[in-house]
Amino acid sequence: MLRKGLLQTVLWMVALLQLFPLIWLINYSFLKSGEFFGSGILKWPQTPEWNNYISAFTYGSVPKYLWNSAFITIAAILAAAVLSLMLGYAFTRMEWRLRGVFMAVIMLGMIVPIHATLLPNFILFDWIKLLDNPLALILPYIAFSLPISTLIISGFMETIPRSIEESAVMDGCSVYGVIFRILMPMTKPALATVCIMNFISWWNEFIMANTFLTSETFKTLPFSIMKFAGQYSSNYGAQFAVMTMIALPTVIMYLLFTEQMSRGITAGAVKG
Amino acid sequence: MHKLLSNRMTIFVLVAPGLLLFLFMVCFPIAMSAYYGMTDWRGIGDYQFIGLDNYIEILTRDGVFWRSLLNALLLLAATLLIQHPIALLFSIFVTHAGRFEKLFRTVFFIPAVISIVVTSKMWVSVFHPNYGVLNKLLTAVGLESLKQDWLGDPSLAIWCVIFVIMWQGFGYALLLYYAGLQGIPKDLYEAAELDGAGRMKLYTKVVIPLLTPMVRVAVVIAVTACLKQMETIFLMTNGGPLNTTQFIGNYLYKTAFSSSLYGYGNAISVIFVIVCLIMTVMMNRVFKKDVGEF
Repeated sequence: MLRKGLLQTVLWMVALLQLFPLIWLINYSFLKSGEFFGSGILKWPQTPEWNNYISAFTYGSVPKYLWNSAFITIAAILAAAVLSLMLGYAFTRMEWRLRGVFMAVIMLGMIVPIHATLLPNFILFDWIKLLDNPLALILPYIAFSLPISTLIISGFMETIPRSIEESAVMDGCSVYGVIFRILMPMTKPALATVCIMNFISWWNEFIMANTFLTSETFKTLPFSIMKFAGQYSSNYGAQFAVMTMIALPTVIMYLLFTEQMSRGITAGAVKG
Repeated sequence: MHKLLSNRMTIFVLVAPGLLLFLFMVCFPIAMSAYYGMTDWRGIGDYQFIGLDNYIEILTRDGVFWRSLLNALLLLAATLLIQHPIALLFSIFVTHAGRFEKLFRTVFFIPAVISIVVTSKMWVSVFHPNYGVLNKLLTAVGLESLKQDWLGDPSLAIWCVIFVIMWQGFGYALLLYYAGLQGIPKDLYEAAELDGAGRMKLYTKVVIPLLTPMVRVAVVIAVTACLKQMETIFLMTNGGPLNTTQFIGNYLYKTAFSSSLYGYGNAISVIFVIVCLIMTVMMNRVFKKDVGEF
Protein backbone atom coordinates (compact mmCIF):
# COMPACT_ATOMS: atom_id res chain seq x y z
CA MET A 1 0.00 0.00 0.00
CA LEU A 2 2.79 2.38 0.96
CA ARG A 3 4.77 1.40 -2.12
CA LYS A 4 1.72 1.99 -4.26
CA GLY A 5 1.27 5.44 -2.73
CA LEU A 6 4.90 6.34 -3.30
CA LEU A 7 4.68 5.23 -6.91
CA GLN A 8 1.60 7.37 -7.47
CA THR A 9 3.27 10.39 -5.87
CA VAL A 10 6.36 10.13 -8.07
CA LEU A 11 4.21 9.73 -11.17
CA TRP A 12 2.09 12.75 -10.28
CA MET A 13 5.16 14.89 -9.65
CA VAL A 14 6.66 14.15 -13.04
CA ALA A 15 3.25 14.56 -14.67
CA LEU A 16 3.10 18.02 -13.15
CA LEU A 17 6.55 18.90 -14.50
CA GLN A 18 5.45 17.78 -17.96
CA LEU A 19 2.16 19.64 -17.77
CA PHE A 20 3.74 22.79 -16.39
CA PRO A 21 4.08 24.73 -19.67
CA LEU A 22 0.41 24.28 -20.43
CA ILE A 23 -0.70 25.35 -16.98
CA TRP A 24 1.71 28.27 -17.05
CA LEU A 25 0.51 29.44 -20.46
CA ILE A 26 -3.16 29.27 -19.66
CA ASN A 27 -2.63 30.84 -16.26
CA TYR A 28 -0.64 33.79 -17.62
CA SER A 29 -2.99 34.30 -20.52
CA PHE A 30 -5.64 35.34 -18.00
CA LEU A 31 -3.54 37.85 -16.05
CA LYS A 32 -3.92 41.61 -16.11
CA SER A 33 -0.81 43.57 -17.12
CA GLY A 34 -0.13 44.59 -13.53
CA GLU A 35 -0.14 41.02 -12.29
CA PHE A 36 2.85 39.71 -14.24
CA PHE A 37 5.63 40.87 -11.98
CA GLY A 38 6.40 40.02 -8.43
CA SER A 39 7.03 36.69 -6.83
CA GLY A 40 5.28 33.38 -7.22
CA ILE A 41 5.27 30.82 -9.97
CA LEU A 42 1.62 30.67 -10.82
CA LYS A 43 -0.62 33.62 -10.03
CA TRP A 44 -4.29 33.16 -9.70
CA PRO A 45 -5.87 36.23 -11.30
CA GLN A 46 -8.47 38.28 -9.41
CA THR A 47 -10.80 37.86 -12.34
CA PRO A 48 -9.84 36.03 -15.55
CA GLU A 49 -8.79 38.61 -18.10
CA TRP A 50 -10.59 37.48 -21.26
CA ASN A 51 -9.59 40.81 -22.76
CA ASN A 52 -6.15 39.33 -23.51
CA TYR A 53 -7.78 37.05 -26.05
CA ILE A 54 -9.96 39.79 -27.40
CA SER A 55 -7.04 42.17 -27.86
CA ALA A 56 -4.92 39.41 -29.41
CA PHE A 57 -7.66 38.96 -31.96
CA THR A 58 -8.64 42.55 -32.62
CA TYR A 59 -5.45 44.61 -32.48
CA GLY A 60 -2.96 42.26 -34.03
CA SER A 61 -2.80 40.33 -37.24
CA VAL A 62 -3.45 37.18 -35.27
CA PRO A 63 -6.53 36.11 -37.25
CA LYS A 64 -4.47 36.38 -40.41
CA TYR A 65 -1.58 34.35 -38.92
CA LEU A 66 -4.06 31.78 -37.66
CA TRP A 67 -5.56 31.48 -41.13
CA ASN A 68 -2.07 31.20 -42.70
CA SER A 69 -1.06 28.49 -40.25
CA ALA A 70 -4.29 26.56 -40.80
CA PHE A 71 -4.20 26.89 -44.59
CA ILE A 72 -0.53 25.95 -44.98
CA THR A 73 -0.74 23.04 -42.54
CA ILE A 74 -3.93 21.59 -43.99
CA ALA A 75 -2.76 21.94 -47.60
CA ALA A 76 0.49 20.17 -46.71
CA ILE A 77 -1.09 17.29 -44.79
CA LEU A 78 -3.78 16.61 -47.39
CA ALA A 79 -1.29 16.60 -50.27
CA ALA A 80 1.10 14.42 -48.26
CA ALA A 81 -1.69 11.94 -47.48
CA VAL A 82 -2.72 11.58 -51.14
CA LEU A 83 0.85 11.38 -52.44
CA SER A 84 1.93 8.82 -49.86
CA LEU A 85 -1.18 6.75 -50.53
CA MET A 86 -0.17 6.65 -54.21
CA LEU A 87 3.45 5.89 -53.36
CA GLY A 88 2.37 3.26 -50.85
CA TYR A 89 0.29 1.52 -53.48
CA ALA A 90 3.10 1.63 -56.03
CA PHE A 91 5.57 0.25 -53.48
CA THR A 92 3.39 -2.55 -52.12
CA ARG A 93 1.22 -3.63 -55.07
CA MET A 94 2.69 -2.56 -58.39
CA GLU A 95 5.28 -4.81 -59.96
CA TRP A 96 8.35 -2.96 -61.16
CA ARG A 97 12.05 -3.39 -60.95
CA LEU A 98 13.14 -0.11 -59.43
CA ARG A 99 10.71 0.00 -56.54
CA GLY A 100 13.30 -1.06 -53.96
CA VAL A 101 15.66 1.67 -55.13
CA PHE A 102 13.04 4.41 -55.13
CA MET A 103 11.65 3.34 -51.77
CA ALA A 104 15.19 3.59 -50.36
CA VAL A 105 15.64 7.05 -51.90
CA ILE A 106 12.47 8.31 -50.22
CA MET A 107 13.49 6.76 -46.92
CA LEU A 108 16.68 8.81 -47.07
CA GLY A 109 14.44 11.71 -46.10
CA MET A 110 14.24 10.33 -42.57
CA ILE A 111 17.99 10.67 -42.24
CA VAL A 112 18.55 14.03 -43.94
CA PRO A 113 18.19 16.84 -41.40
CA ILE A 114 15.66 19.50 -42.40
CA HIS A 115 18.22 22.14 -41.45
CA ALA A 116 20.61 21.01 -44.17
CA THR A 117 18.06 22.09 -46.78
CA LEU A 118 17.49 25.58 -45.37
CA LEU A 119 20.39 27.35 -47.08
CA PRO A 120 20.09 25.83 -50.57
CA ASN A 121 16.29 26.05 -50.58
CA PHE A 122 16.54 29.74 -49.75
CA ILE A 123 18.50 30.27 -52.99
CA LEU A 124 16.30 27.82 -54.90
CA PHE A 125 13.12 29.66 -53.86
CA ASP A 126 14.78 32.95 -54.73
CA TRP A 127 15.45 31.66 -58.27
CA ILE A 128 11.96 30.36 -58.87
CA LYS A 129 10.38 33.40 -57.18
CA LEU A 130 8.80 31.44 -54.37
CA LEU A 131 10.33 33.34 -51.46
CA ASP A 132 7.60 34.81 -49.31
CA ASN A 133 4.99 32.55 -50.86
CA PRO A 134 2.98 29.88 -48.98
CA LEU A 135 4.31 27.29 -51.42
CA ALA A 136 7.82 27.84 -50.03
CA LEU A 137 6.52 26.15 -46.90
CA ILE A 138 3.92 23.78 -48.32
CA LEU A 139 6.30 22.09 -50.78
CA PRO A 140 9.08 21.20 -48.31
CA TYR A 141 6.48 20.26 -45.67
CA ILE A 142 4.97 17.75 -48.10
CA ALA A 143 8.39 16.46 -49.16
CA PHE A 144 9.54 15.91 -45.58
CA SER A 145 6.21 14.23 -44.70
CA LEU A 146 6.57 11.63 -47.44
CA PRO A 147 9.14 9.22 -45.93
CA ILE A 148 7.36 8.51 -42.63
CA SER A 149 3.89 8.71 -44.20
CA THR A 150 4.75 6.32 -47.02
CA LEU A 151 6.34 3.96 -44.53
CA ILE A 152 3.27 3.87 -42.29
CA ILE A 153 0.79 3.58 -45.17
CA SER A 154 2.80 0.86 -46.93
CA GLY A 155 3.05 -1.08 -43.68
CA PHE A 156 -0.71 -0.88 -43.27
CA MET A 157 -1.45 -1.83 -46.89
CA GLU A 158 0.62 -5.00 -46.54
CA THR A 159 -1.96 -6.20 -44.04
CA ILE A 160 -4.93 -5.71 -46.39
CA PRO A 161 -5.75 -8.86 -48.38
CA ARG A 162 -5.34 -8.43 -52.12
CA SER A 163 -8.37 -10.51 -53.01
CA ILE A 164 -10.68 -7.51 -52.56
CA GLU A 165 -8.74 -5.51 -55.12
CA GLU A 166 -8.63 -8.45 -57.49
CA SER A 167 -12.38 -8.88 -57.49
CA ALA A 168 -12.82 -5.13 -57.99
CA VAL A 169 -10.59 -5.31 -61.04
CA MET A 170 -12.64 -8.28 -62.34
CA ASP A 171 -15.67 -6.01 -62.07
CA GLY A 172 -13.93 -3.51 -64.32
CA CYS A 173 -12.44 -1.13 -61.76
CA SER A 174 -9.25 0.68 -62.80
CA VAL A 175 -6.11 0.84 -60.64
CA TYR A 176 -6.97 4.42 -59.66
CA GLY A 177 -10.47 3.31 -58.75
CA VAL A 178 -8.98 0.57 -56.59
CA ILE A 179 -6.75 3.06 -54.81
CA PHE A 180 -9.19 5.88 -54.21
CA ARG A 181 -12.52 4.06 -53.95
CA ILE A 182 -11.55 0.79 -52.31
CA LEU A 183 -8.19 1.11 -50.56
CA MET A 184 -8.52 4.68 -49.35
CA PRO A 185 -11.49 3.95 -47.07
CA MET A 186 -9.76 0.80 -45.84
CA THR A 187 -6.49 2.61 -45.01
CA LYS A 188 -8.34 5.25 -42.97
CA PRO A 189 -6.64 4.33 -39.67
CA ALA A 190 -3.18 4.71 -41.23
CA LEU A 191 -4.20 7.89 -43.03
CA ALA A 192 -5.51 9.35 -39.78
CA THR A 193 -2.26 8.53 -38.01
CA VAL A 194 -0.22 10.13 -40.76
CA CYS A 195 -2.36 13.26 -40.90
CA ILE A 196 -2.22 13.81 -37.14
CA MET A 197 1.54 13.32 -36.96
CA ASN A 198 2.07 15.70 -39.85
CA PHE A 199 -0.39 18.20 -38.42
CA ILE A 200 1.60 18.41 -35.20
CA SER A 201 4.95 18.74 -37.00
CA TRP A 202 3.87 21.43 -39.44
CA TRP A 203 1.60 23.43 -37.22
CA ASN A 204 4.58 23.85 -34.88
CA GLU A 205 7.21 24.34 -37.58
CA PHE A 206 8.92 27.71 -37.52
CA ILE A 207 12.51 27.51 -38.75
CA MET A 208 11.51 27.21 -42.42
CA ALA A 209 8.89 29.89 -41.90
CA ASN A 210 11.58 32.06 -40.33
CA THR A 211 13.81 31.48 -43.36
CA PHE A 212 11.52 31.52 -46.37
CA LEU A 213 8.96 34.14 -45.41
CA THR A 214 10.10 37.73 -45.41
CA SER A 215 6.98 39.88 -45.19
CA GLU A 216 4.01 39.94 -42.84
CA THR A 217 1.57 38.59 -45.40
CA PHE A 218 2.10 34.86 -45.00
CA LYS A 219 3.52 34.60 -41.49
CA THR A 220 2.40 31.58 -39.55
CA LEU A 221 1.50 31.68 -35.85
CA PRO A 222 4.66 30.20 -34.28
CA PHE A 223 6.84 32.42 -36.45
CA SER A 224 4.79 35.51 -35.63
CA ILE A 225 5.21 35.04 -31.91
CA MET A 226 8.92 34.31 -32.09
CA LYS A 227 9.79 37.97 -32.11
CA PHE A 228 6.68 39.30 -30.40
CA ALA A 229 6.29 41.96 -33.02
CA GLY A 230 5.98 45.64 -32.12
CA GLN A 231 2.46 46.14 -30.91
CA TYR A 232 2.68 43.27 -28.42
CA SER A 233 6.01 44.04 -26.83
CA SER A 234 4.37 45.46 -23.72
CA ASN A 235 1.07 43.59 -23.81
CA TYR A 236 2.15 40.43 -22.01
CA GLY A 237 -1.37 39.16 -21.58
CA ALA A 238 -1.97 39.16 -25.34
CA GLN A 239 1.37 37.44 -25.94
CA PHE A 240 0.36 34.61 -23.66
CA ALA A 241 -3.07 34.44 -25.24
CA VAL A 242 -1.41 33.98 -28.65
CA MET A 243 1.01 31.37 -27.28
CA THR A 244 -1.93 29.48 -25.82
CA MET A 245 -3.60 29.54 -29.22
CA ILE A 246 -0.46 28.06 -30.76
CA ALA A 247 -0.21 25.29 -28.17
CA LEU A 248 -3.84 24.28 -27.77
CA PRO A 249 -4.67 22.94 -31.27
CA THR A 250 -1.86 20.37 -31.20
CA VAL A 251 -2.59 19.38 -27.61
CA ILE A 252 -6.29 18.92 -28.41
CA MET A 253 -5.48 16.94 -31.57
CA TYR A 254 -3.16 14.76 -29.56
CA LEU A 255 -5.72 14.19 -26.80
CA LEU A 256 -8.38 13.27 -29.36
CA PHE A 257 -6.13 10.88 -31.27
CA THR A 258 -3.67 9.66 -28.64
CA GLU A 259 -3.87 6.03 -29.76
CA GLN A 260 -3.38 6.72 -33.46
CA MET A 261 -0.43 8.95 -32.73
CA SER A 262 1.24 6.55 -30.35
CA ARG A 263 0.87 3.73 -32.85
CA GLY A 264 2.27 5.86 -35.66
CA ILE A 265 5.27 6.97 -33.66
CA THR A 266 6.15 3.45 -32.55
CA ALA A 267 5.67 2.05 -36.05
CA GLY A 268 7.82 4.83 -37.50
CA ALA A 269 10.52 4.22 -34.91
CA VAL A 270 10.62 0.47 -35.27
CA LYS A 271 10.42 0.24 -39.04
CA GLY A 272 12.32 3.42 -39.92
CA MET B 1 -4.08 -8.48 -62.75
CA HIS B 2 -0.36 -8.85 -63.36
CA LYS B 3 -0.62 -6.86 -66.58
CA LEU B 4 -2.52 -4.12 -64.81
CA LEU B 5 -0.01 -3.96 -61.96
CA SER B 6 3.03 -3.72 -64.18
CA ASN B 7 1.62 -1.01 -66.43
CA ARG B 8 4.42 1.54 -66.74
CA MET B 9 2.13 4.48 -67.27
CA THR B 10 0.25 3.73 -64.06
CA ILE B 11 3.47 3.33 -62.12
CA PHE B 12 4.71 6.63 -63.48
CA VAL B 13 1.52 8.46 -62.56
CA LEU B 14 1.57 7.04 -59.03
CA VAL B 15 5.24 7.55 -58.27
CA ALA B 16 6.27 10.64 -60.21
CA PRO B 17 4.48 13.40 -58.24
CA GLY B 18 5.77 12.31 -54.84
CA LEU B 19 9.18 11.24 -55.97
CA LEU B 20 9.85 14.35 -58.07
CA LEU B 21 8.73 16.66 -55.30
CA PHE B 22 10.97 14.79 -52.89
CA LEU B 23 13.98 14.92 -55.20
CA PHE B 24 13.35 18.60 -55.90
CA MET B 25 12.94 19.64 -52.26
CA VAL B 26 15.36 17.31 -50.48
CA CYS B 27 17.96 15.77 -52.78
CA PHE B 28 18.51 18.59 -55.26
CA PRO B 29 19.12 21.18 -52.50
CA ILE B 30 21.85 18.97 -51.03
CA ALA B 31 23.53 18.82 -54.44
CA MET B 32 23.27 22.63 -54.58
CA SER B 33 24.89 22.82 -51.15
CA ALA B 34 27.73 20.61 -52.30
CA TYR B 35 28.33 23.09 -55.14
CA TYR B 36 28.04 26.29 -53.09
CA GLY B 37 30.14 24.67 -50.40
CA MET B 38 33.01 24.78 -52.88
CA THR B 39 32.76 28.55 -53.27
CA ASP B 40 33.54 31.57 -51.14
CA TRP B 41 30.14 33.16 -51.85
CA ARG B 42 28.97 35.65 -49.25
CA GLY B 43 25.32 35.63 -50.28
CA ILE B 44 25.52 38.48 -52.75
CA GLY B 45 27.83 39.45 -55.62
CA ASP B 46 30.44 37.35 -57.33
CA TYR B 47 32.12 34.33 -55.93
CA GLN B 48 35.11 32.16 -56.64
CA PHE B 49 35.40 28.45 -56.90
CA ILE B 50 37.75 27.33 -54.14
CA GLY B 51 37.51 23.55 -54.37
CA LEU B 52 37.52 21.67 -51.09
CA ASP B 53 39.00 24.52 -49.02
CA ASN B 54 35.82 25.06 -46.95
CA TYR B 55 35.45 21.37 -46.22
CA ILE B 56 39.09 21.05 -45.17
CA GLU B 57 38.83 24.17 -43.04
CA ILE B 58 35.76 22.80 -41.23
CA LEU B 59 37.22 19.40 -40.54
CA THR B 60 40.71 20.49 -39.56
CA ARG B 61 40.55 23.97 -38.08
CA ASP B 62 36.99 24.89 -37.17
CA GLY B 63 36.75 24.64 -33.38
CA VAL B 64 33.07 25.64 -33.33
CA PHE B 65 32.17 22.77 -35.66
CA TRP B 66 33.90 20.27 -33.42
CA ARG B 67 32.38 21.88 -30.36
CA SER B 68 28.96 21.37 -32.01
CA LEU B 69 29.71 17.69 -32.52
CA LEU B 70 30.97 17.41 -28.95
CA ASN B 71 27.73 18.99 -27.71
CA ALA B 72 25.72 16.43 -29.68
CA LEU B 73 27.82 13.77 -27.99
CA LEU B 74 27.22 15.30 -24.54
CA LEU B 75 23.51 15.41 -25.24
CA LEU B 76 23.62 11.79 -26.40
CA ALA B 77 25.45 10.72 -23.25
CA ALA B 78 22.90 12.53 -21.07
CA THR B 79 20.03 11.08 -23.09
CA LEU B 80 21.27 7.52 -22.83
CA LEU B 81 22.52 7.65 -19.24
CA ILE B 82 19.80 9.80 -17.67
CA GLN B 83 16.71 10.21 -19.85
CA HIS B 84 16.40 6.64 -21.11
CA PRO B 85 16.85 4.84 -17.78
CA ILE B 86 14.26 7.15 -16.20
CA ALA B 87 11.92 6.69 -19.16
CA LEU B 88 12.31 2.92 -18.95
CA LEU B 89 11.67 2.96 -15.21
CA PHE B 90 8.64 5.20 -15.65
CA SER B 91 7.22 3.09 -18.44
CA ILE B 92 7.20 0.22 -15.93
CA PHE B 93 5.67 2.51 -13.27
CA VAL B 94 2.98 3.55 -15.71
CA THR B 95 1.93 -0.04 -16.34
CA HIS B 96 1.36 -0.32 -12.59
CA ALA B 97 -0.58 2.92 -12.27
CA GLY B 98 -3.95 1.17 -12.39
CA ARG B 99 -6.77 3.37 -13.56
CA PHE B 100 -4.38 6.28 -14.22
CA GLU B 101 -2.26 4.30 -16.68
CA LYS B 102 -3.61 5.99 -19.77
CA LEU B 103 -3.67 9.42 -18.16
CA PHE B 104 0.04 9.33 -17.24
CA ARG B 105 1.08 7.97 -20.59
CA THR B 106 -0.79 10.81 -22.28
CA VAL B 107 0.40 13.58 -19.99
CA PHE B 108 4.07 12.60 -20.21
CA PHE B 109 3.98 13.07 -23.97
CA ILE B 110 2.32 16.50 -23.97
CA PRO B 111 5.54 18.59 -24.04
CA ALA B 112 6.45 16.84 -27.29
CA VAL B 113 3.37 18.17 -29.08
CA ILE B 114 3.68 21.76 -27.88
CA SER B 115 5.48 24.16 -30.19
CA ILE B 116 9.16 24.55 -29.38
CA VAL B 117 8.64 28.30 -29.68
CA VAL B 118 6.34 28.14 -26.68
CA THR B 119 8.34 25.69 -24.57
CA SER B 120 11.61 27.55 -25.25
CA LYS B 121 10.05 30.84 -24.20
CA MET B 122 8.87 29.21 -21.02
CA TRP B 123 12.26 27.74 -20.12
CA VAL B 124 14.09 30.96 -20.98
CA SER B 125 11.82 32.73 -18.52
CA VAL B 126 12.33 29.99 -15.91
CA PHE B 127 16.13 30.38 -16.21
CA HIS B 128 16.05 34.20 -16.24
CA PRO B 129 18.64 35.49 -13.72
CA ASN B 130 16.38 38.19 -12.21
CA TYR B 131 12.77 37.20 -12.82
CA GLY B 132 13.20 33.47 -13.36
CA VAL B 133 11.28 30.97 -11.30
CA LEU B 134 14.36 28.85 -10.69
CA ASN B 135 16.34 31.57 -8.91
CA LYS B 136 13.23 32.64 -7.00
CA LEU B 137 12.73 29.07 -5.87
CA LEU B 138 16.34 28.85 -4.68
CA THR B 139 15.89 32.06 -2.69
CA ALA B 140 12.66 30.78 -1.20
CA VAL B 141 14.28 27.63 0.17
CA GLY B 142 17.31 29.51 1.49
CA LEU B 143 19.79 28.41 -1.16
CA GLU B 144 20.53 31.90 -2.44
CA SER B 145 24.18 31.03 -2.90
CA LEU B 146 23.20 28.66 -5.73
CA LYS B 147 21.52 31.41 -7.79
CA GLN B 148 23.01 31.56 -11.27
CA ASP B 149 22.80 33.30 -14.61
CA TRP B 150 21.82 29.90 -15.96
CA LEU B 151 21.84 30.55 -19.69
CA GLY B 152 24.52 33.25 -19.56
CA ASP B 153 27.19 31.14 -17.93
CA PRO B 154 29.44 29.42 -20.50
CA SER B 155 29.88 26.31 -18.41
CA LEU B 156 26.26 25.99 -17.24
CA ALA B 157 24.26 26.94 -20.33
CA ILE B 158 24.87 23.69 -22.19
CA TRP B 159 23.50 21.65 -19.26
CA CYS B 160 20.39 23.82 -19.07
CA VAL B 161 19.78 23.33 -22.79
CA ILE B 162 20.40 19.59 -22.50
CA PHE B 163 17.93 19.43 -19.63
CA VAL B 164 15.23 21.17 -21.68
CA ILE B 165 15.77 18.89 -24.68
CA MET B 166 15.60 15.82 -22.47
CA TRP B 167 12.50 17.14 -20.77
CA GLN B 168 10.73 17.64 -24.09
CA GLY B 169 11.77 14.26 -25.47
CA PHE B 170 10.99 12.31 -22.30
CA GLY B 171 7.51 11.26 -23.41
CA TYR B 172 8.85 10.00 -26.71
CA ALA B 173 11.38 7.68 -25.05
CA LEU B 174 8.74 6.56 -22.58
CA LEU B 175 6.30 5.81 -25.39
CA LEU B 176 8.82 3.53 -27.12
CA TYR B 177 9.57 1.57 -23.94
CA TYR B 178 5.90 1.39 -23.06
CA ALA B 179 5.14 -0.05 -26.51
CA GLY B 180 7.96 -2.53 -25.94
CA LEU B 181 6.41 -3.58 -22.63
CA GLN B 182 3.02 -4.07 -24.28
CA GLY B 183 4.71 -6.46 -26.70
CA ILE B 184 5.72 -8.82 -23.90
CA PRO B 185 3.13 -11.58 -23.48
CA LYS B 186 1.16 -11.34 -20.23
CA ASP B 187 1.53 -15.05 -19.42
CA LEU B 188 5.29 -14.58 -19.11
CA TYR B 189 4.71 -12.42 -16.04
CA GLU B 190 2.40 -15.04 -14.60
CA ALA B 191 4.84 -17.85 -15.32
CA ALA B 192 7.63 -15.95 -13.59
CA GLU B 193 5.37 -15.29 -10.61
CA LEU B 194 4.47 -18.99 -10.38
CA ASP B 195 8.16 -19.79 -10.38
CA GLY B 196 8.45 -17.61 -7.32
CA ALA B 197 10.43 -14.80 -8.90
CA GLY B 198 10.03 -11.51 -7.02
CA ARG B 199 9.12 -8.20 -8.68
CA MET B 200 12.76 -7.12 -8.88
CA LYS B 201 13.90 -10.40 -10.34
CA LEU B 202 10.98 -10.46 -12.74
CA TYR B 203 12.09 -7.17 -14.24
CA THR B 204 15.83 -7.64 -14.25
CA LYS B 205 15.81 -11.26 -15.44
CA VAL B 206 12.74 -11.43 -17.66
CA VAL B 207 11.29 -8.12 -18.75
CA ILE B 208 14.35 -5.97 -19.41
CA PRO B 209 16.17 -8.66 -21.43
CA LEU B 210 13.02 -8.99 -23.54
CA LEU B 211 13.04 -5.23 -24.07
CA THR B 212 16.54 -5.24 -25.55
CA PRO B 213 15.32 -4.95 -29.16
CA MET B 214 13.34 -1.83 -28.25
CA VAL B 215 16.31 -0.41 -26.38
CA ARG B 216 18.33 -0.82 -29.56
CA VAL B 217 15.72 1.05 -31.59
CA ALA B 218 15.62 3.83 -29.02
CA VAL B 219 19.41 4.17 -29.06
CA VAL B 220 19.55 4.36 -32.85
CA ILE B 221 16.91 7.09 -32.83
CA ALA B 222 18.60 9.00 -30.02
CA VAL B 223 21.88 9.22 -31.96
CA THR B 224 20.39 10.99 -34.98
CA ALA B 225 18.00 13.02 -32.86
CA CYS B 226 20.91 14.41 -30.84
CA LEU B 227 22.81 15.35 -33.98
CA LYS B 228 19.77 17.09 -35.44
CA GLN B 229 19.00 19.39 -32.50
CA MET B 230 18.52 22.95 -33.63
CA GLU B 231 15.26 24.75 -32.80
CA THR B 232 15.60 24.71 -29.02
CA ILE B 233 19.15 26.07 -29.28
CA PHE B 234 18.16 28.68 -31.84
CA LEU B 235 15.45 30.03 -29.55
CA MET B 236 17.10 29.66 -26.16
CA THR B 237 20.75 30.62 -26.65
CA ASN B 238 21.43 30.81 -30.40
CA GLY B 239 24.54 28.78 -29.66
CA GLY B 240 25.92 31.21 -27.09
CA PRO B 241 27.50 32.14 -24.77
CA LEU B 242 30.77 31.86 -26.72
CA ASN B 243 29.42 29.00 -28.88
CA THR B 244 29.32 26.71 -25.85
CA THR B 245 25.79 25.55 -26.70
CA GLN B 246 26.33 25.38 -30.45
CA PHE B 247 24.84 22.52 -32.48
CA ILE B 248 25.57 21.86 -36.17
CA GLY B 249 22.12 22.85 -37.42
CA ASN B 250 22.25 26.17 -35.65
CA TYR B 251 25.89 26.78 -36.52
CA LEU B 252 25.34 26.45 -40.26
CA TYR B 253 22.32 28.74 -40.03
CA LYS B 254 24.22 31.39 -38.13
CA THR B 255 27.24 31.12 -40.42
CA ALA B 256 25.13 31.67 -43.53
CA PHE B 257 22.57 34.22 -42.36
CA SER B 258 24.32 36.16 -39.59
CA SER B 259 27.95 35.99 -40.67
CA SER B 260 27.05 35.98 -44.41
CA LEU B 261 29.46 33.13 -45.08
CA TYR B 262 27.02 31.42 -47.40
CA GLY B 263 29.53 29.13 -49.12
CA TYR B 264 31.02 28.03 -45.82
CA GLY B 265 27.57 27.43 -44.33
CA ASN B 266 26.68 25.18 -47.24
CA ALA B 267 29.86 23.18 -46.74
CA ILE B 268 28.78 22.64 -43.10
CA SER B 269 25.35 21.54 -44.41
CA VAL B 270 26.91 18.89 -46.62
CA ILE B 271 29.14 17.56 -43.84
CA PHE B 272 26.05 17.55 -41.59
CA VAL B 273 24.18 15.30 -44.04
CA ILE B 274 27.18 13.01 -44.41
CA VAL B 275 27.64 12.70 -40.64
CA CYS B 276 23.94 11.82 -40.25
CA LEU B 277 24.15 9.24 -43.04
CA ILE B 278 27.26 7.60 -41.66
CA MET B 279 25.89 7.49 -38.13
CA THR B 280 22.56 6.02 -39.26
CA VAL B 281 24.18 3.31 -41.35
CA MET B 282 26.63 2.50 -38.57
CA MET B 283 23.99 2.41 -35.86
CA ASN B 284 21.73 0.22 -37.94
CA ARG B 285 24.57 -2.20 -38.60
CA VAL B 286 25.52 -2.44 -34.96
CA PHE B 287 22.22 -2.20 -33.15
CA LYS B 288 19.14 -2.81 -35.15
CA LYS B 289 18.40 -6.41 -35.78
CA ASP B 290 15.08 -8.17 -35.40
CA VAL B 291 12.64 -6.04 -33.51
CA GLY B 292 9.34 -7.75 -34.19
CA GLU B 293 6.02 -6.10 -34.85
CA PHE B 294 4.44 -3.23 -33.00
